[in-house]
Amino acid sequence: MKGESRRPLVALTAENIGHGDQVVLSGLTLALYPGENIALLGPSGAGKSTLLATLRQRLGAQAAWCPQQHGLVPQLAVYHNVYMGRLAEHSALANLWNLVRPLPAPWRQVSELCASLGLADLLRRPVSQLSGGQRQRVAIARALYQQRPLFLGDEPVASVDPYQALRLLALIAARHSGAVVALHQRELALSHFDRVWGLRDGRLVIDAPVHDLDLTDLDALYPDADAAAPRGPW
Amino acid sequence: MSASPVVRRRPGWLAGQGSSARLARHSLTLVALAVILVPFADLAILTRDPWGELGRMARGLAWPDWGAVSSPLEALGLTVAVALWGTLGGLTLGFPLALLFARSRLVRAGCAFVRAIHELFWALLFLQVFGLSAATALMALAIPYAGIFAKVYAEILEQIPAAPRDALPHGAGRLSRFVYAELPLAWARLAAYTRYRFECGLRASVLLGFVGLPTLGFQLETAFREGRYHEAGALLWLFYLLIATLPWWGQRRLMPLLAVGGALLLGPWPAVNGGLLWRFVSEDIWPRALLAGDWQGLAEWLARIPELGPAIGNTLLLGLLGSVGALLVALLLWPLACRHFGNPVTRLAGRGVLIFLRSTPELMLAFFFLLLLGPSLLPAWLALALHNGALIAFLVARHADAITPGMPGINASGRLAYELLPRLYPGMLALLYYRAEVILRETAILGMLGVATLGYYIDENFEYLLFDVAFFLLLVTAALNIAVDALSRRLRPRETAIVDDPCQG
Repeated sequence: MKGESRRPLVALTAENIGHGDQVVLSGLTLALYPGENIALLGPSGAGKSTLLATLRQRLGAQAAWCPQQHGLVPQLAVYHNVYMGRLAEHSALANLWNLVRPLPAPWRQVSELCASLGLADLLRRPVSQLSGGQRQRVAIARALYQQRPLFLGDEPVASVDPYQALRLLALIAARHSGAVVALHQRELALSHFDRVWGLRDGRLVIDAPVHDLDLTDLDALYPDADAAAPRGPW
Repeated sequence: MSASPVVRRRPGWLAGQGSSARLARHSLTLVALAVILVPFADLAILTRDPWGELGRMARGLAWPDWGAVSSPLEALGLTVAVALWGTLGGLTLGFPLALLFARSRLVRAGCAFVRAIHELFWALLFLQVFGLSAATALMALAIPYAGIFAKVYAEILEQIPAAPRDALPHGAGRLSRFVYAELPLAWARLAAYTRYRFECGLRASVLLGFVGLPTLGFQLETAFREGRYHEAGALLWLFYLLIATLPWWGQRRLMPLLAVGGALLLGPWPAVNGGLLWRFVSEDIWPRALLAGDWQGLAEWLARIPELGPAIGNTLLLGLLGSVGALLVALLLWPLACRHFGNPVTRLAGRGVLIFLRSTPELMLAFFFLLLLGPSLLPAWLALALHNGALIAFLVARHADAITPGMPGINASGRLAYELLPRLYPGMLALLYYRAEVILRETAILGMLGVATLGYYIDENFEYLLFDVAFFLLLVTAALNIAVDALSRRLRPRETAIVDDPCQG
């Protein structure tokens, strides 16, 4: 199972990545191997989203994408938002007709998928009427519906309760051969992933399998943990 | 520093770099400019007995003679039908243009041009080709509205959040992307604007009566001009009723019914003679010397156009005076309709006055003042200042209602000067600059009532069948509007969001 014998899906060697002229992550070296489940950790603004966007670009059609803030269309129904995951696979005419009346095959597939996410009764409801946790699950459903080998998620379990988070991560793992998921929950990173990438101040400071890491190692990523405030953050 | 280390030198009049001092200087400069230029405007009162005339008009409005109005339902129906189908036409033409708007300079320029010419001038132009027909009325609305829709829709589509679009898988087609991740996000604002434009269309449709099309305005103009004020009063009430009841009859579900019913009412349809139409477009509206390539002849033709300079001067002067007047009227009137001042009775009255002034088209107001005061710039100035001032005041008052003062116990003048005005004034001034272009456009059409602006000469030359001169003056008007629009865009305060969009574009 050691990755060295296999070809990486993506490999970055001392690369500077960012938006336009602005470098967010400098001198980045890392590799993503098939079958790996990677937790991406780091404080807000450390460059997690930038790294995920780069991976998304390099992986192309191999990766499903679940963005931060969901990127849903609030005016459209849950069904249509999930359907958008495979918008590129239908003709424009079929896509148009699907807005007038759902196409039979996608309707069946989306219904089954949504049932496994606890969204079965909400299929026809506009996303604007859903709670934060429900929207989160719609965004995950849309990524799952893409049926790609890899899953890239930018904090996909940020706004659900801890038990749902476990269930959703298990579902994501079951339906993909590999994943890179940005997280804030350090415990989940250690319990549900193979490897951790830790970002701090625009650098990759942790790149290690989870059995070599413990919570104190991960604490080192967060500047607010350094201060060791007596009553914790308020 | 030498006088006292603690007390800094007292600032001079309106000195300082703060935004309120800057805006105050800005506004006072505008007012000063208007005061300096007022002596150049012809503001004479020419009627002998304005107060008697006003009394007769008021009596007409108070005791409308409903029996004297012939076939009011037909006029109302046609007014609505023209507004509805004109707006639909503008929508059909404007929507595809909105999609090209950001990418094509040609589309932007074309839209700016058709927007810059008022509905009534388009009507005058099409009148020459299609006569007094439904085609003239519909095209007079549809063409400028296409330009307006293109611009406003493009702005709305530009402002939708990009996240849903970015979340789509790569390779989705342009059309699919548009209908799934763009159109639904913009839909509510597009619909609201379309609705608002329809309301503008109703006012414009009434005005088309002033050039002879048989909408409500035709009977209104005739009744006013012939001094039958009781009949005019009844028609005016009918118009206010139509506008006031719009929320009930203008529902989305009723629209298809109105559209079909309206289509049956529209008419008469002109018999278009292709040859004549072509001659009009290719020959009549161009100076003969230009078509012949005779440059000297063209220069002579240009020199023969009477009063071009004074007409442009009057148009710009009236635009400036109207804008400054609107600012002063808005400053005076907005507290009347705002929850922070007065009592429920005064607020109700204030709101009533503002709604009355803002829903009366300025041409109608100007017509009213014209009968009262005689033909000079004065009636036009009053009409522009009152209508636009009331419109701005209404929006500002609504904005003020949403503000919660930080110091609740403060007295009224303190609330006005320290709590509300500093927050509202930048938006108010921005709104005024937005309106400046609309005011200039209206300035030109007030010429049709005999005020010596460009519109007066356009109307006159169409009447004398001098199409080349009329068309040239139309182009001058459009160029003037585009220039003023660009200037006001540059001058308007930037640090604030527009309060709300009024009859923009």
